[in-house]
Amino acid sequence: MENSLLFYVLSTLIVLFSFGMLVAANPVFSALFLALTMVGLAGLFFHLEAYFIAGVQLIVYAGAVMVLFVMVLMLFDLKKEIAPFSRGTLAGFVKLVCAGALFGLIIGAAKHSTEMMMITPEQAASQSGYAVEMKALATLLFTKYLLAFEVLGVLLLLIAVGVVAVSRAKGGTHVRS
Amino acid sequence: MFALEGLKYVGLNHYLVLSGILFTIGMLAVLLRRNLIVILMGVELMLNAVNLSFVAFSHFSANINGQLMVFFVMTVAAAEAGVGLALAVTLFKTFREVNIRLFEQLKG
Repeated sequence: MENSLLFYVLSTLIVLFSFGMLVAANPVFSALFLALTMVGLAGLFFHLEAYFIAGVQLIVYAGAVMVLFVMVLMLFDLKKEIAPFSRGTLAGFVKLVCAGALFGLIIGAAKHSTEMMMITPEQAASQSGYAVEMKALATLLFTKYLLAFEVLGVLLLLIAVGVVAVSRAKGGTHVRS
Repeated sequence: MFALEGLKYVGLNHYLVLSGILFTIGMLAVLLRRNLIVILMGVELMLNAVNLSFVAFSHFSANINGQLMVFFVMTVAAAEAGVGLALAVTLFKTFREVNIRLFEQLKG
């Protein structure tokens, strides 16, 4: 029972924080709420016994990516936005309806898929002793997914060079050499 | 399956519903906000929602391939954030503002 209590507390906090990210007019507050959401998600990953993923989530997302976001925001020196949301009541209504339809679609698909997978609470409870070791993850990463891992390294190098090239160009998109 | 008696035991469905809620909020941030940085944050939130469902599936089917997939998604998301923020910086250098309506004025 305390397991489910932890889940409910964490998920309530996560939903509240992500909603705060959506409605905060100041982008810095949005970044703060997003960082709190990431920390809450790391807690949920910990709860799901994915300890490595929880650590990586804390370091990479709540650490590196959010620091990058906040640094760029500081660079811009943005004041509070005058119109943080896009205009048009009808367009906004259509967007909300689209989001609601997407939510319904996701829930329907989830219900269908878990019915197909036939995971009953008893079966799930019997697997609750299951914990992933780092060794198993690393073995899988360096055998079955070795090529994907190498491609990821090349991608990161490419991105590093590309980001420097893009942000060094004078005058942004209107480059005059 | 979503009845009240299911509230006591937290199963796969609970995590998938939470993931759906987070994905929808991220999509709303992309659709409704005008600041480019906040839009990128919405994309990050959507990626995180998918990560949550990956980890939940991995846990409830005792299969660690899902966690590896989360590892890859995180790396690609970090790369995507880097590129998006670099583009935001160039946009700010040109227009002194990061608003999506400025994309209409881009040329070349």
